[in-house]
Amino acid sequence: MPELRKDPILGRWVIIATERSRRPDEYVIKTVLPPKESLCPFCEGHEGHTPAEIYALRSRSSQPNGPGWEVRVVPSISPFLRIEGELERRGIGLYDAMNGIGAHEIVIETSQHIANMADLPESQIAKVISCYIERIKDLEKDIRFKYVLVFKNYGWSAGAGRIRHARSQLIATPVNPKRVKEELVGARQYYEYHERCVFCDIIRQELETKQRLVLDIDGFIAITPFASRFPFEVWILPKKHSCDFVSLESNRLLDLGRIIKKILLKLKKGLDDPPYNYIIHTSPFRRPKLGYWKTIDYDYHWHIEIIPRLTRVAGFEWGTGFYICPLPPEEAASFLREVEV
Amino acid sequence: MSELRREPIVGRWVIVDTEHPSKPAEFEYEPSIFKEGVCPFCYGNESMTPPEIEAIRHPDTSPNSSGWQVRVVANKFPALQIEGDLVRSGIGVYDMSTGVGAHEVVIETPYHHKDISELQQSEIENFITMYCRRAQDLSKDKRFKYILIFKNYGAAAGASLEHAHAQIIALPMVPKNVQEELKGAQGYFEFRERCIFCDIIRQEMSDNSRLVAENDGFVSFCPFVSRFPFEIWIVPKRHNSFFCKIGYSDVVSLAAILKDNIARIKKLFPNVSYNFLIHSSPINGLDSEYEWYHWHIEFIPRLTRVAGFEWGSGFYAVSTPPEASAQFLREVVL
Repeated sequence: MPELRKDPILGRWVIIATERSRRPDEYVIKTVLPPKESLCPFCEGHEGHTPAEIYALRSRSSQPNGPGWEVRVVPSISPFLRIEGELERRGIGLYDAMNGIGAHEIVIETSQHIANMADLPESQIAKVISCYIERIKDLEKDIRFKYVLVFKNYGWSAGAGRIRHARSQLIATPVNPKRVKEELVGARQYYEYHERCVFCDIIRQELETKQRLVLDIDGFIAITPFASRFPFEVWILPKKHSCDFVSLESNRLLDLGRIIKKILLKLKKGLDDPPYNYIIHTSPFRRPKLGYWKTIDYDYHWHIEIIPRLTRVAGFEWGTGFYICPLPPEEAASFLREVEV
Repeated sequence: MSELRREPIVGRWVIVDTEHPSKPAEFEYEPSIFKEGVCPFCYGNESMTPPEIEAIRHPDTSPNSSGWQVRVVANKFPALQIEGDLVRSGIGVYDMSTGVGAHEVVIETPYHHKDISELQQSEIENFITMYCRRAQDLSKDKRFKYILIFKNYGAAAGASLEHAHAQIIALPMVPKNVQEELKGAQGYFEFRERCIFCDIIRQEMSDNSRLVAENDGFVSFCPFVSRFPFEIWIVPKRHNSFFCKIGYSDVVSLAAILKDNIARIKKLFPNVSYNFLIHSSPINGLDSEYEWYHWHIEFIPRLTRVAGFEWGSGFYAVSTPPEASAQFLREVVL
């Protein structure tokens, strides 16, 4: 009998199709690879092929937009949103619109031509994370922005471009994204009722049952969520409660880098280098005057969602927000636990 | 400068690239190609599917044999199962329920290679009538709260079989996106005492810039807040909350506009994969509860790859503004 499971934060129902579940090795992904690029603008020595850098971790002796860097942040050449201008909210009949103001930055994760973050040393991943934090802190100063979304598309069917060089993206938005807001509202409602953080409760339960636990190391856990939308969906959460990713202590960057690396490697080895997306869900900017998210320090818990792109999202999922997951997360977790990295 | 637009019903924000709109030729989509092989939905292979639930067939033929025009069978790999009680339970912080529901397949035509745009008007009317009949029949089961009729055409849209078919899923709860739409429509109605969809139709028909097609019963347009390039909504002009309550004249109009719109899309994007789905009111409540809701069809050609940004944030970026999409579609010569 298939099972219907409810996401405890969003209230979204997911069908876990236990009976039609395929074995993990039955997920064949044939990504049509477009032609290879001739010159990679993200490699060391090609700095002139990107817009001027916004931020970089580089050696003291090096010059901006020259070689000698470890992580480099540049504006997107095809930004969704633009940094200049005013919002100008307006109504058009019954519709609302505003100018597309925001920031869209690319974090180049390595100066070497390496495609998958899984293949970077954990210390390098830690440096990438420190750049995310520096950029978010800087963008927070711009009061037009409410949220910064950090995400990554790896592989063609995950939405990545043709250049196979590891990078993540950062988008600052003038409104809170809908999915994030739903999560914030769900977490707050749970807190109002229980006076506990729903994520902390989830962590406790997952550590106790261990059925969906993939890793538990250095203060972070990786789980396959109870109401997974996709096969092999993995969440990484800090065990210590914190609503804000930016407040991660610098001595814990390496620990986070380590668990990210291990999970990405498990996916790469176990599922034959699948395309994937990851996204960091953290609290919106908590500016004192807004005062709307009064209990957010207590009720929300930042985390990373990783989704290998193994199945195609069909009409049913788009239209309903009701997902059919063909693999129970317990089986996904057990498979991932066994992949040696 | 791109534009941020707020969807008036559910409040989703979408980024619309009004500055450098992508033209149809710029989309690199995965074409749907017929791979042939044995097809369980073709004449002569009726025994390869579960037994038929209902069919429109020639009076001289018997069930589960050839001679049908539209055939409904249970899904061989159902996401939900019809037998059993709905049992809800909790495990610690989590809630769950048994997976009770119905999952049927409507084989829309006996022709293996024909898409809706290539069918005769009367053939389309037949399968739309069948959608209605199945929805009415499934509504009698009190365990179900919602019936979703949808279609995946082409591999990129998630179809596992290439022969034209739609799916019907009866669910024991109202899906999240529908609930949000219902809530949004209700909020608007309480505030203005008008149906938001009727207001949208009025605005679209007077504005014209996003209109694709129109006939006696229906209007189709690219929504102001499209999530995807060339997304189309097909909406009945007369207010009606329930799809399965449409009359014969509406079936005729719907068949015509559906054929027209799909033909336009396929002229611009040959062999494109697409999804459409019918949003209607929940069932087995009081019908009067949903008087402020307006059923409609959402049609999405699969031209782009949905990336981390979209699913993680619920924030969509559309590279062709709906005004440009609608103009391209209107200018197609059929």
